[in-house]
Amino acid sequence: MDRTLKALSLILSYPTAELQAAMPEIGGVLASDTRLTAAARRALRPLVDSLGSDDIYDLQERYVMLFDRSRTLSLNLFEHVHGESRDRGGAMVSLLETYREAGIEPATSELPDHLPVLLEFLSTRPFVEVQDTLADAAHIFEALNARLVRRESPYCAVFAALLQLSGAEANQEAVAELLDQPETDPEDLEALDAVWEESEVLFGPDPNAGCPQVRDMLARMDEPTNPKPGLAAE
Amino acid sequence: MSHLLDRLNFFQSKELDTFANGHGQTTRENRDWEDTYRNRWRHDKIVRSTHGVNCTGSCSWKIYVKSGIVTWETQQTDYPRTRPDLPNHEPRGCARGASYSWYLYSANRVKNPLVRGRLMKTWRRMRATMSPIQAWTALQNDPILRGEYVKTRGKGGFVRATWDEATEIVAAANAYTVKTYGPDRVFGFSPIPAMSMISYAAGSRYLSLLGGVCMSFYDWYCDLPPASPMTWGEQTDVPESADWYNAGYLLLWGSNVPQTRTPDAHFYTEARYRGTKSAVICPDYSEAAKFGDVWLNVKQGTDAALAMAFGHVILREFHLDRQAPYFEEYCRKYSDFPMLVKLEEKDGKLIPGRFLRADDLDGKLGEETNPEWKTVAWDSKAGGLVSPNGAIGYRWGEQGEWNLEEKAAGTDTNLLMSLVLDEDHDEVAGVDFPYFGGAATEAFTTGDTRPDVLTRNIPVKQIKTANGTIKVATVFDLFCANYGLDRGLGGDWVTSNYDEDMPGTPAWAEKITGVSADKIVHVAREFAQNAEKTNGKSMVIIGAAMNHWYHMDMNYRGVINMLVMCGCVGQSGGGWAHYVGQEKLRPQTGWQPLAFALDWARPPRHMNSTSAWYAHTDQWRYETLTASEILSPTAPEGDWDINIIDYNIRAERMGWLPSAPQLKTNPLEVAKAAKAAGKEIPAYVAEQLKSGELEMSCEDPDAPENWPRNLFVWRSNLLGSSGKGHEYFLKHLLGTDHGVMGKDLGEEGAQLPKEAKWHDEGPRGKLDLLVTIDFRMSTTAVYSDIVLPTASWYEKNDLNTSDMHPFIHPLQAAVDPAYESKSDWEIFKAIAKKVQEVAPEILGKETDIVALPILHDTPGEIAQDQVKDWKKGECDLIPGKTAPNYIAVERDYTAIYDRFVALGPLMDKIGNGGKGISWNTEHEVQHLRELNGEWEDGPAKGCPKIVTDIDATEVVLMLAPETNGEVAVKAWAALSNATGRDHTHLALPKEDEKIRFRDIAAQPRKIISSPTWSGLESEKVCYNAGYTNVHELIPWRTLTGRQQLYQDHLWMLAFGEGFMSYRPPVDLKTITKEVVDDGDSLVLNFITPHQKWGIHSTYSDNLLMLTLNRGGPVIWISENDAKKGGIVDNDWVELYNTNGALTARAVVSQRMKDGTTFMYHAQEKIVNTPGSEKTGNRGGIHNSVTRATLKPTHMIGGYAQQSYGFNYYGTVGSNRDEFVVVRKMRKVDWLDQPASQKEAAE
Repeated sequence: MDRTLKALSLILSYPTAELQAAMPEIGGVLASDTRLTAAARRALRPLVDSLGSDDIYDLQERYVMLFDRSRTLSLNLFEHVHGESRDRGGAMVSLLETYREAGIEPATSELPDHLPVLLEFLSTRPFVEVQDTLADAAHIFEALNARLVRRESPYCAVFAALLQLSGAEANQEAVAELLDQPETDPEDLEALDAVWEESEVLFGPDPNAGCPQVRDMLARMDEPTNPKPGLAAE
Repeated sequence: MSHLLDRLNFFQSKELDTFANGHGQTTRENRDWEDTYRNRWRHDKIVRSTHGVNCTGSCSWKIYVKSGIVTWETQQTDYPRTRPDLPNHEPRGCARGASYSWYLYSANRVKNPLVRGRLMKTWRRMRATMSPIQAWTALQNDPILRGEYVKTRGKGGFVRATWDEATEIVAAANAYTVKTYGPDRVFGFSPIPAMSMISYAAGSRYLSLLGGVCMSFYDWYCDLPPASPMTWGEQTDVPESADWYNAGYLLLWGSNVPQTRTPDAHFYTEARYRGTKSAVICPDYSEAAKFGDVWLNVKQGTDAALAMAFGHVILREFHLDRQAPYFEEYCRKYSDFPMLVKLEEKDGKLIPGRFLRADDLDGKLGEETNPEWKTVAWDSKAGGLVSPNGAIGYRWGEQGEWNLEEKAAGTDTNLLMSLVLDEDHDEVAGVDFPYFGGAATEAFTTGDTRPDVLTRNIPVKQIKTANGTIKVATVFDLFCANYGLDRGLGGDWVTSNYDEDMPGTPAWAEKITGVSADKIVHVAREFAQNAEKTNGKSMVIIGAAMNHWYHMDMNYRGVINMLVMCGCVGQSGGGWAHYVGQEKLRPQTGWQPLAFALDWARPPRHMNSTSAWYAHTDQWRYETLTASEILSPTAPEGDWDINIIDYNIRAERMGWLPSAPQLKTNPLEVAKAAKAAGKEIPAYVAEQLKSGELEMSCEDPDAPENWPRNLFVWRSNLLGSSGKGHEYFLKHLLGTDHGVMGKDLGEEGAQLPKEAKWHDEGPRGKLDLLVTIDFRMSTTAVYSDIVLPTASWYEKNDLNTSDMHPFIHPLQAAVDPAYESKSDWEIFKAIAKKVQEVAPEILGKETDIVALPILHDTPGEIAQDQVKDWKKGECDLIPGKTAPNYIAVERDYTAIYDRFVALGPLMDKIGNGGKGISWNTEHEVQHLRELNGEWEDGPAKGCPKIVTDIDATEVVLMLAPETNGEVAVKAWAALSNATGRDHTHLALPKEDEKIRFRDIAAQPRKIISSPTWSGLESEKVCYNAGYTNVHELIPWRTLTGRQQLYQDHLWMLAFGEGFMSYRPPVDLKTITKEVVDDGDSLVLNFITPHQKWGIHSTYSDNLLMLTLNRGGPVIWISENDAKKGGIVDNDWVELYNTNGALTARAVVSQRMKDGTTFMYHAQEKIVNTPGSEKTGNRGGIHNSVTRATLKPTHMIGGYAQQSYGFNYYGTVGSNRDEFVVVRKMRKVDWLDQPASQKEAAE
């Protein structure tokens, strides 16, 4: 088992007393994995320390607020890929098939695309495959990292670490698109206004061009899904 | 050493697993070949379900499931066919429902039980050394610990909990509250059982076993039209949407069918293809307006004036100048037009008073039973006074003459509607009518300077009574005078000229409504012509827009009058189609025993929510409306100058309205004291109330003993949607940050209540515990102490019915509940189980005392033909007659779970029934034993099991006449006894039909006709309300037994509503000098219609729907108003008044009428809502600028159809008379710092 991925799965899970007790060991694993740069390992320190020593209720409140309550920080990866589209169900089915093909069966009430679930799965897989999968989600990790940095949350380091493990460069276009969502940057009012601005409706000269608003919206909703493992939409 | 790092948390190896006792084999061979099939059929199964949301849709959907995950849904198309020449029901569904699969896996879904962190921390600390009960007691007794979590409501700070822990807190809190204050301090609010009746029943069954309070919703939502119970003695009964197709003339009045009744709109389209004409009446150019052949853009809130003018034209042309034979016959047989009204003298003038009763006459017309409840008319056949069959006095205490045959005392009659002919009247007398048109406030005034009393000439008969000679007139003659019609009798305030500006005429209405008189005449004439030619196929589809005004009864009665004048009610293709709220719980009588645990104890505790929230959120402390503003100038002498809450308290005291809590003392303690004193409970309570030893809770709502302590909210978004006076909820009930800007009566130096005790300081944070059960993190959930994740509509088994179609429809568990969620049925079972575990520490078998108001459809409903208050010494306190009844109920807190999961013994012993009739159920209970199994031991030994949600559905289906033909025949037979006419032929052909859950899972099933409802289900007619009244001669359940257009209760007369008239919106005075900032000058009428991109608040946080609209809260204003306020489209604006403030984007549209702003009802403040500059808090919801105001006429009780019934009669939460200041926001602050940081920074 890849104990680093397993450790990352754990520290992204809901903080419990059991986790708190295991933090020294988890911290040790993360500090000693040389696949991560020294800087990345250092960056994980504040989260490890906090999980190991802070008041458990504060940790839990923080976790619920960040990952249960904030849609833009959801740990369900398909929230960021498929959002509300009906492709989401299909993508989850296909991810589930991937787990089953590898000979293991989810035994949790979490959905298959929950990041800690995926990371635990990957901890049982060869590293090459791990990197492939993580690379598919690189743009999500980068976006979540950026959002958490903005909130000054120590959890950001986990996503930076995942990005590093993937060995990939996130597709900047995809990252930008994710970061462009209005509720992620409520302070940037100019940007917000731009999103809300309705595009001008033009009649003619080509009546078959259709309504630009509808066309744009359909194009956004129509983004193709990736086949297995179904993480990233290119 | 932890193994956390080395073991799998989320997976198990498939190879390690054996299954099916070794019959299953784990294989690793290549199974790629299966993919061909998988890709071709991308789902494993299709399950039928629907969306349990209050939209009246009840649409059939196919839910596609693959590997235990919902992949998508599509519309079902397999409804049972309609008959030839009628379009089929499908397609049903809308964009909102089609986006539902998203909700299942939404990031906004509640995944685990959540508990407020500060509460959890203290709880666990205390639980380390204490029992659950001790821990909750200690927590409540420490004001600092309690305040810690109470004050953080709405500010985040949740942690996850296990089900065990969360239910333990709830159980401990409930048990502590029962023991300390009484079970009636545990409240539960859940609306619209019809949309998922088992989920509703789960909570209400638990509460009823506990002795808690089930709160009403239909009246609180202001969807209940009190005009319906007043006129018909029926909560609401309407035609199904298919019947629109049968109409020849469709009037859409304040109903936006394509937008808010989307799945039914196709019948409207199809009717127009058939040639049906349609007029649309609404102030804005709505989606429905586009369907109309004519659009009448009436000024908002003035509909009653328009209705009056329509009525004026119809009466003139079809009843007076020419008498349409069909109309004349219909009104004589089915309305109160022929009934005689006593003209009472006041200050030397005559005013219409009470109906003449048999009791008033010497010899009482030979009537021995209930003569004071038998109305009297003039029979032209015999030439004398008769008491026609059908009045409410015939309903109780005797049998066989409660019907609408044209008979009196066994003899045929021909009742006289009018005394206008010289030979029929003894004199022509001037009679006073109140006129309210001059009382309009600034936004509605037409400069009307007419007096407030108009005297009109009426043909009158003189009659000898036991108390001398009196004058009487028919309802019809008074009615015509009230409409301002000149009948050649001379006198003032009547006319025969439509163009004269005289109250009632089209010219008068044009001034008030802005609709041109010629259009009014045109539409009225066509409406009536069509009805005459088709025997009543003119229909009015009517919506909340008309009902949400303070004087909604005037709007509605105006419309109902038109329909009755034209003989439309109870005729196929005609009638009153009020579609507001999914009120039709078709298998109602089968569901009630399950829902209110009538199988274990009767009666349950029911409360009318409007009065409860008005008192407990302290909105009464800020009341700006005084009784004198709405009192009639013709009011009889009386003590009318009291505050609105005082009226409510008197109503509770006289047994008219329910109370919650009921007595200031814990009812369990009162029962013990009665026992110790060796007295019967009703007598003991009466004696103690009279002496003042016991006090009713309503008299002091702010005393800590009288606070509601625990509140469950499930299937509802009380704080994000229906909570009128949102900010008052936050301030007083919850005790957290709020935006109330007005002063209370004490600070204002206004008149303080006479009946309610005044505390200078209004309490904050009355609730000890707020529990919300939801699948999404709604606004209510955000403010709760505990949030429990519930199964969504594709994850549970349940039943769903609607008034829009005649089918009973299932919700089904297509997949298991996601994350940690459970169905409502399982959640309340779990809570009941915990109570059974923890409560015995302080509670055992207890005697509870339930205060029961005088109920409609029971023999008690004829309790008070005169208004008398025992507390003022006007009569003795007789429980159940002059006051609430006080009934002992045995509870067993050690067996609350055992009772929850068993159908109790009272069904065998007492039987079942509804709406005034009853039947035995032994046969059905035995069927249930055989179907569900029976308990072999324990407290429920021998009772049928109700363990699963499917078991629960079978209980409903088995006991209800609508789904069990055998019961339907029994029910019709019971009604036949009362009417003396055989009605069983309506169900006999279906006697052997028994609908089961699996039947409706296979296909929605049409329900069986039952006397619970006034329409029929058959192959010949569509469901239409009043059909059996007209065609089976079953009386309406009113005083006169007829459609009652005149209301003679003392309070109706006092408030000037004996007859319908135009009453302008009331002045709520919420735009005060203190609250308005310099420079803010745009003041608009605040209207809250239903939206296109959500069903109430549900779906409104769904990204698809947000994308279709503007992505957050919006208000609509006209171009002219926008210009005045310096606002351009998409600007952020703030709306405020003394009640609070809200923020939204402005939609500037030509659709809007100047002077109004629309804010679509229930846009969540959890989505894209910035802070308000005015309050400093997050901009509110639409209800942040509203406050509920009660109307005394809705409190009437103990008086035939004006008697209380749960969701049937009572105060309603109107909100359209409200005005707001609208201004462009200077600075948009998203308040995106955690609350604690913000506080620290300050």
